Amino acid sequence: MPHVEVLPNSAAHIAPGWTYVVDTGYDPSKVALNPKNKKRAAAQPRVPRGENELSSRQQLAIARRIAELNRDNDPSKSIEIPGKAAVPKTQNARRIIQYQRQIKHWLDDEEAQLAQLQQAPQPRAAAAASRLATAPSRRSSTMALIPPTASEATTPGPALPAPAPAPPKPRNERDDERLLSIDASMPSSVNPAELQALLSAPPLSYAASHASLPPVDGPPRRHFCDNCGYWGKIKCMKCGAKVCGLECKDAHEATRCLKWA
Amino acid sequence: MPPKGSKKASAAAPSQTLVLDNGAYTLKAGLVSANGAELSYDDCAVIPNCIARSTRDKRTYVASELEHCKDFGELAFRRPVEKGFIVNWEAEKAIWEHEFMGAGEGLRCDPSDTNLLLTEKPNCPKELQKNCDEIVFEQFEFAAYYRCIGPALNAYHPFSASSLFSLPQECLLIIDTSYSDTTILPIYNGTLLQTASRRLTVGGKLLTNYLKELSSLRHYNMMEETYLLNEIKEAVSFVVPSAQQFATDLERTWKGRQGDKRELDSSIVVDYVLPDYERAIHGHARPHDPAQLRMRRGLQPLQGPREDLLPLGNERFAVPELLFNPADIGIQESGLSGAIMEALSVLPDALKMGMLANVVVVGGNSLIAGFMERLETDLRALVPAQYLLNVSRADDPIKHTWLGAARFASQPERLRDVLVTKAEYDERGSTWLGKKFTTM
Ligand SMILES: [Zn+2]
Ligand SMILES: [Zn+2]
Repeated sequence: MPHVEVLPNSAAHIAPGWTYVVDTGYDPSKVALNPKNKKRAAAQPRVPRGENELSSRQQLAIARRIAELNRDNDPSKSIEIPGKAAVPKTQNARRIIQYQRQIKHWLDDEEAQLAQLQQAPQPRAAAAASRLATAPSRRSSTMALIPPTASEATTPGPALPAPAPAPPKPRNERDDERLLSIDASMPSSVNPAELQALLSAPPLSYAASHASLPPVDGPPRRHFCDNCGYWGKIKCMKCGAKVCGLECKDAHEATRCLKWA
Repeated sequence: MPPKGSKKASAAAPSQTLVLDNGAYTLKAGLVSANGAELSYDDCAVIPNCIARSTRDKRTYVASELEHCKDFGELAFRRPVEKGFIVNWEAEKAIWEHEFMGAGEGLRCDPSDTNLLLTEKPNCPKELQKNCDEIVFEQFEFAAYYRCIGPALNAYHPFSASSLFSLPQECLLIIDTSYSDTTILPIYNGTLLQTASRRLTVGGKLLTNYLKELSSLRHYNMMEETYLLNEIKEAVSFVVPSAQQFATDLERTWKGRQGDKRELDSSIVVDYVLPDYERAIHGHARPHDPAQLRMRRGLQPLQGPREDLLPLGNERFAVPELLFNPADIGIQESGLSGAIMEALSVLPDALKMGMLANVVVVGGNSLIAGFMERLETDLRALVPAQYLLNVSRADDPIKHTWLGAARFASQPERLRDVLVTKAEYDERGSTWLGKKFTTM
């Protein structure tokens, strides 16, 4: 039995479950499976409930699809290297050449190490952590809350308790203020200490290097027909995707509905 | 910097350097002598960085061998670089050996008598950097080595032939929109300003995969046709100049609804003639012909040779639009121009102005029709009116970073300052080396 609902302009229908905005900026598949950081979700001003809000199931579906679109290699297809390989010359080389890990494993390791440094009690480690973490924490709040497991996600229960109290103001708000404060006059030369700090700052972690969410006051997200790519005007009640009309609704249900759920 | 006059640093360094921009999609490579000679894009070879396997002719193609492939149908790829970083050394080693070492034609070197200048993407996990350094010295045994953020070396391009400016360029904002992702890299005197660098998830790979997904959903199953869809993307994509034009073009490519069918606008909609790998290895696009579609559906008798057509309408502009509106498919990042402003917001005003006055775009996505115009329009709307905004695309956006690196490597005094010799590595190890390259 098809369920079709024409979207009201001001919002009302929310699927059961959570309503935080998903942030898929980093590796979405990883974020979906390891909800480590709830700061951004908690700190996000509560936008009035509207069509921007997605159910956890939809969030997970989006994250999975983006991970799929962003994949470099298909682990299910192995291609043997032709010919006889040169022998590894050292133990290090042998170990490295034999790794069958994918990039997500290395990035997971990096995040785990940063988290460990931040928690380490020893003063030396703590100093190292703060040095390493100042920049990365800029973005550590961008991994929004996603339900921990797929099974939980596909059977959303009653609403969860509210997330932990709001952490310090997210960095990007400050950035926005600075952005607006660009002075009309020619700026004076750069403060040498400030320049030195910029030049010698360590790199951000990979996760921390991603751009932030679009500004809240920017243009609203556009929605497209899941089937033909025209404007999405009708919402599929099974999966939350949008379609443009009845014809595409039928096609959607026959093809992609719940594909990434 | 290594101590000046250090015996080990200066004694052993050979005079030729393999300059290698090790991209996920292609390697850009060339041998450069440290004699300050003029260099050009022609000194750079572009080599697929993959091992491909065809289930049809049962052949495996390593890197440049792909040029002998005559049937790209269902071709599967193994890529050693993921998200821009070298992850699989088994495959990368095989490709390097195949392309640069041993007997054979073309670009050949003996690592023990060659320096390696290897570029990497920003924000590479340390463990992967360490793996790379260990392989370079312990497996390949290069005589000396420098690993650095490739795009930063674009500061070593002269402004113009008769330039009064000294190098490196003082303020340079590189937008690198490549296969793996898109990065925004403010560079000061050749040094990347790390805390002001930003990354967008969308790159050429994601665009190709998105087009593959849409075409498979709407027309044929093409999920195994990555090569073809990349070719189609390069042939038909364009970036709309504005959000208004996006809406207009979306109307022109809409089929209408039941009972109110519209004629597709054949000034936008194209039919891509798919290659059959017998008469043609490559396909081509031509204006959409509704009669062809009716013939294919059996509504009209077939005329002329049998052809498989892939109609492309809103896919032509909705796919590359993700660079400017990643939220269109739910990626929670601002678009390119917003991310550029976010990156610059970290900098003091004087640097911000300097960067905006010298924006250079590199990477293959910048070749999509309309990309540069859209970037400039979007940026102009965000940059304060009194700021000078200069946005240009490198003459060859694929090879430009390589050429910057090659120009750097052609100057003996610059190279001497950064190279680490194998003897130094053997003495001090990879942890020391990792720290050295990070702080240099
Ligand atoms: Zn539709
Ligand atoms: Zn659905």
